[in-house]
Amino acid sequence: MPRESYQDKLDDLREDVLYMSEVVLERLRLGLDALEQKDEALAQEVIEGDHEVNQMYLELEQDCIDLLALQQPVASDLRFIAASFKIITDLERIADLATNLGDYSLEAEEDVFPEVDIQTVADVTIEMVEAAMDGYANQDAETCYQISETDDEVDALCERASEAVVRDLIEREVTDEATEEEVERLMGDVSRLLLTIRDLERVGDHAVNIAARTLYMVENDADLIY
Amino acid sequence: MSKDVTQDPETDSEKLISTDVSTDDADGDVPDESQVRTVIESQDLDVFYGDTQALQSIDLEIPARQVTAMIGPSGCGKSTFLRCINRMNDLIDIARVEGELLFEGKNVYDDDVDPVALRRRIGMVFQHPNPFPKSIYDNVAYGLKIQDKTENLDQKVEQALKRAALWDEVKDRLDESALDLSGGQQQRLCIARAIAVDPEVILMDEPASALDPIATSQIEDLIEELAEEFTVVIVTHNMQQAARISDKTAVFLTGGELVEFGNTNEIFENPESERVEDYITGKFG
Repeated sequence: MPRESYQDKLDDLREDVLYMSEVVLERLRLGLDALEQKDEALAQEVIEGDHEVNQMYLELEQDCIDLLALQQPVASDLRFIAASFKIITDLERIADLATNLGDYSLEAEEDVFPEVDIQTVADVTIEMVEAAMDGYANQDAETCYQISETDDEVDALCERASEAVVRDLIEREVTDEATEEEVERLMGDVSRLLLTIRDLERVGDHAVNIAARTLYMVENDADLIY
Repeated sequence: MSKDVTQDPETDSEKLISTDVSTDDADGDVPDESQVRTVIESQDLDVFYGDTQALQSIDLEIPARQVTAMIGPSGCGKSTFLRCINRMNDLIDIARVEGELLFEGKNVYDDDVDPVALRRRIGMVFQHPNPFPKSIYDNVAYGLKIQDKTENLDQKVEQALKRAALWDEVKDRLDESALDLSGGQQQRLCIARAIAVDPEVILMDEPASALDPIATSQIEDLIEELAEEFTVVIVTHNMQQAARISDKTAVFLTGGELVEFGNTNEIFENPESERVEDYITGKFG
């Protein structure tokens, strides 16, 4: 096949993006574990590991720029590089959100609303990112549409969870004996819980972005973008 | 290939193939598809060189005042098609054309069409600059003098050189030999010579392939400007050049087949044909 070196570079880019996604997914799982177990060491690992993901992002961004500048890709190659360029940004943001989870776990005092099922939301969003990257790896358009549909479910789950927190907070009686310190702590925990829900919802949004760019890559279809 | 020409080329063929060429689009933007006028149209066009078929049943519509690029591997027939448009293939004895090639609705291969008159309306620029061994001025004035259009000759020469983006570089040495110009300047002089006689179409066969990158970019800029006034058809081996400067792209592949024709951005972003995809991405060719 002509342009073997160029084809090798495209293959390398695909493999490197998939490797980055594995690292990012691992960070996300660790961030959730740290939050659930209130594991300070794990949280620190996630937070400090973000630098590695940022570095990976910068290197892949440069690879994409080099391919565009030096190889003048067209057609499916162009769409693949353009999609990869966007997807690594989403992966990097997911890693940032994983870092947020690490931060929250360091700050959290207690489970204020144990009835809010964070784990279910987390499981679904992680599955979305995994599926989005499978779609990218296998150039599977059908998977992209499924992820978009799943995101509607995640949004509904997150909305219900947020509502439950707010409703519970309204109904909760703060006794006269509660110190100001206790009230502040409660407010901090509630804020962190709402932020966790919001961040997981955003992970789902990034999974949809990945699916949208993958669909464009596979079928030149911008249907899922926005 | 020979054609009997019984009519007076200065009158009949001009009259036969002359139509109003004015369009509304003179601002350089790609106009609305529905308003684009077709200037050149091939219908089931076959070309043979002896027993070898160089083009197979080509159907193609070239829009007015746009740049149409022809790309494809060597021997695919893209230059053959270009040379059919102004009957340059007449100069090849073994060439034979079947089907129709319409210019402004008139088949250029009809017996009553004079190829010399046709070439006044459809100018050509070649791969290697080929100025006459005359002064810069005389190169541009040559066609006008032949056609006896010498009124305001200085003004016409200046105008052609300005339209070819060469005037500022040569205005103080119009009497010097054209052969003293650089390659890029010579090519722009050839373009000035072609447009001096006010053609409707300019055919370009690899016009920048012999030039350095700066001269190439000057020619590319010029081509885009020319398309505001003329219909430009360019053959190029340089796919990036086609992508940069053309509005429409025709992809010819081996065997003289036109495999895909469409808007340039669509051809280079999402070609319909897998063969075109393989060719433009370098997977074969």
